[in-house]
Amino acid sequence: MRPYVRSLAAAFIAFSAILSAASAQDKCLSCHEGVGGKPVELFQRDIHHAKGVTCAGCHGGNSKTDDMEKAMDKNAGYIGVPKGDEISKACAKCHSSAEMMKNLHSSIPTGQFEKLQLSVHGKLAVNGKERIVQCTTCHNAHGIVSVHSAASPVFPLNIVKTCTKCHGDPAFMRTYNPSLPVDQLEKYRTSVHGMRNLKGDAKVAECASCHGSHDIFPVKDPRSSIYATNVPQTCSHCHSDAKYMKEYKIPTDQYEKFSRSVHGVALLKKHDTGAPACNSCHGNHAATPPGVNSISKVCGTCHALNADLFSSSPHKKAFDERKLPECETCHGKHDIIVATNKLLGVTQEAVCSRCHSESQNAKGFEAARGMRSLIDSLESQEKTAVSLVEEAEQKGMEISEAKFKLRDAHQARLESRTMVHSFNQERFKEVVAKGLGVTASVREEAVDALDEYVFRRIGLGFATLAITILVVSLYLYIRRIERRQATGAE
Amino acid sequence: MKTLWTKLYDWIDERVELGGLIEFMGKKYVPVNRHSVWYYFGGVSLFLFIIQVVTGILLLLYYKSGEQLAFESIQFIMSKVQFGWLIRSIHSWTANLFILTAMIHMFSVYFEKSYRKPREVTWVTGMLMLFLALGFGFSGYLLPWNELAFFATKVGTDIAGAVPIVGKPIMVFLRGGEDVTGATLSRFFGFHIAVLPGLFTVLLGIHLLMVQRQGMSEPMERGDQPAAERQRMPFFPNFLLRDLLLWLIVLNLLAILAVFFPWELGKKADAFASAPAGIKPEWYFLFMFQTLKYIPGKILFVDGEVLGILLFGLAGLLWMLVPFWDWKSSRGERNRFVNYVGIFVIFYIIILTVIGWIV
Amino acid sequence: MMSDAGDSGQQENRRDFLKIALGGGLVAWLAAVLYPIFAYLNPPKQAEVEVTSVKAGKVSAFEKESGTIVRFGNKPVVLIRNAAGDFRAFLATCTHLDCTVQYRKDMGLIWCACHNGRYDLNGRNVAGPPPRPLDEYRVVIQGEEIFISKKA
Repeated sequence: MRPYVRSLAAAFIAFSAILSAASAQDKCLSCHEGVGGKPVELFQRDIHHAKGVTCAGCHGGNSKTDDMEKAMDKNAGYIGVPKGDEISKACAKCHSSAEMMKNLHSSIPTGQFEKLQLSVHGKLAVNGKERIVQCTTCHNAHGIVSVHSAASPVFPLNIVKTCTKCHGDPAFMRTYNPSLPVDQLEKYRTSVHGMRNLKGDAKVAECASCHGSHDIFPVKDPRSSIYATNVPQTCSHCHSDAKYMKEYKIPTDQYEKFSRSVHGVALLKKHDTGAPACNSCHGNHAATPPGVNSISKVCGTCHALNADLFSSSPHKKAFDERKLPECETCHGKHDIIVATNKLLGVTQEAVCSRCHSESQNAKGFEAARGMRSLIDSLESQEKTAVSLVEEAEQKGMEISEAKFKLRDAHQARLESRTMVHSFNQERFKEVVAKGLGVTASVREEAVDALDEYVFRRIGLGFATLAITILVVSLYLYIRRIERRQATGAE
Repeated sequence: MKTLWTKLYDWIDERVELGGLIEFMGKKYVPVNRHSVWYYFGGVSLFLFIIQVVTGILLLLYYKSGEQLAFESIQFIMSKVQFGWLIRSIHSWTANLFILTAMIHMFSVYFEKSYRKPREVTWVTGMLMLFLALGFGFSGYLLPWNELAFFATKVGTDIAGAVPIVGKPIMVFLRGGEDVTGATLSRFFGFHIAVLPGLFTVLLGIHLLMVQRQGMSEPMERGDQPAAERQRMPFFPNFLLRDLLLWLIVLNLLAILAVFFPWELGKKADAFASAPAGIKPEWYFLFMFQTLKYIPGKILFVDGEVLGILLFGLAGLLWMLVPFWDWKSSRGERNRFVNYVGIFVIFYIIILTVIGWIV
Repeated sequence: MMSDAGDSGQQENRRDFLKIALGGGLVAWLAAVLYPIFAYLNPPKQAEVEVTSVKAGKVSAFEKESGTIVRFGNKPVVLIRNAAGDFRAFLATCTHLDCTVQYRKDMGLIWCACHNGRYDLNGRNVAGPPPRPLDEYRVVIQGEEIFISKKA
């Protein structure tokens, strides 16, 4: 024979020898190879097979014997085709034991089964006999590969299809939670994450990136990675990692800015779930930053009055023409700070002066200046009223009615801050006038209380005078009596 | 020419025969010596008690008892009722001053040994009135139903409950239940305006009757001086007018206190809130409260707090019975031991009150 | 110790002056004591401690489908009269961040201007950030008068 043929034949023999040697180790496999079938085919490529785990590793029985009866003997632990929870229990036999995994030279984490049990997928299925999800539901049964392998159904590029198998099937989801949406995939594909994922980018967010893999909880459960107060951290996992995000060329300081902002402090420090998290403005599955023209609608879901006023103000057209983002231009987007009076007006810190000056857009300049001075005067009047009320209260005078009215003064200040967004000085003046009326009447009441305080001291003075006259004259009278008694006695 | 007063006197005399009474009263004399100044404290205490009755009745016209309204009704008195602030502050200040003057009165009598025969009953009724005064203070303190009072009452009745055997039933009786609730407020109100005044009036009547019948006690050193050489002044009109003078000054003092140091109201009681830090009772209970804090948790096999309470009870009892174990004074002999005990007690009370205040 | 006529005359003057001073002082003192007491006995206009119940006004003063803010102690309460003519009252502080809510006839519900929180006419939070419904107060109508009081 030719030399290469010889080596080819040798290679072939060696190969089949190794194969059969491997199969010889796994007698179940070698026998079933003869029978054929999908599982056997798949198992050849399975990572468990590569690591030396035999069929008996999951199915039980004796993988070292040729004898079928002995191999598939119940007494040897053979469980046949596991059904329902038996499947996951079989996996957990090794995958929940750190020792076992070490023996098999694996460094993947353990404890997935325990996590699954606690998660929403670990609940009882509709048939009442098993959990909703088993390990094999997502990882397959015989052709299991590492999650980092492109062939894995939970590899980032494939996982979307895997989850959608159930979560995109309305008939199936209906049996568990009819109000759960089933269009997540469609939405996802409109987002940057979804589009890039479709093109083959395994780095972008997919289902498990945000929802978790084994420990998935419902949105309203505080343990969930997508519970309102946890959302910013979940997103910032990638979006704050400068190295990870390098190729995408977008900023990575949003989380840091957000946590300093009013919304961030409310959500993360005060745990106010009414405050917006990333998804409130960007969306969930269809996550995309809102467009320049539509920001006021997004902010307006909560800040309704401000948005309405803005939309009907001259600024809307001006901003849209110049492609300036609404709301964000003056207030920022991630790092929104508390809007104080300083934001308004024509000083250096004020945002109005960025576009308005005495020479340019002068009408707006006048309006800004006017509104700022009005709101400043309202604030100082309110401060005076508050301090007068406090002084009266501290002096022990009853001032609860005036205190109640202070609420109205505070309300007027809130209303005027909102009315700024109409950028209409007349309407603004109306609101401020109302507030000034309230503060004036509060001050009057407080001053009355302080006057009463003085009246009491003056009244005391008079009473003391009367008593002193009486005391002195009584003393003299006593002295006189005693003098008379002394002379009388002599 | 008969004046109006003479006509009035005659009208009453015809019906009641005032002659004997007037003669008796004209013969009342008050010793004049360097200890005489202490004689005024009994009268001032009486005056302050009368002030409490008058201001108390006035407050009663506007006070509404019961958890829902007590606090608010006091707020109402302080702010909406004309001079309500004055009446209430005077009532609160007088309560404290009354206890102070009563204690001074008691100690001056103690050191003068005026409790000796034949004045034992006067002393005992006086001590009982002092205890009742503390009860007035404790019950009255709760009536505004504010935060401080609520917790002070809780602590105070807890201490009462620590007495062995009878403590628990006493505590339940005081509280009107297991805890301090609106039922406690109702009870304390009843104690404060009916039970305690009734008992106090009876004791006061006996006390004053004894003083009138027996006259003022002379200091012991004078016992051997002949009667003619002792300096004295008639009760009517001299001592009485001086008394009135002092009472006027005290009244002015009360008005000044009410205007410049109005009594606080604080926050309404909330049974579910936690006690504010540093709760302590009013100053007249402070020395006992502070003592209990210093007693170790357990002494031999007895609970420290119980021991403390029993010791105070025993001390109070012995103090009240001093006329009966101080035979020396009854014989007219000097008793230095009694003086030393008295000085120790005064210093103890003052020092522990001060410590309790600062800490 | 006899004094001559001149002396005794002076003494008499002094006597009279002292008696006048004493009498005058006594009268002044009585006035200073009795005036506050009588003023105290005179009941103030707000005759009762009003905190458990507030008179809101007459039924005829409130139109159907309207809401009015009424002062209850030191808290605002919104009194609503619905289309059927029934009255409901709720604590008017928003459960989100304590702004004062208002009845909106055009929306048919209770609205908070601060962050667009909405409550239905049963006080239940239905949209926006408010986490809890509004506290309800009791409305009692005696004759023509409306009384608002805390729910027991």
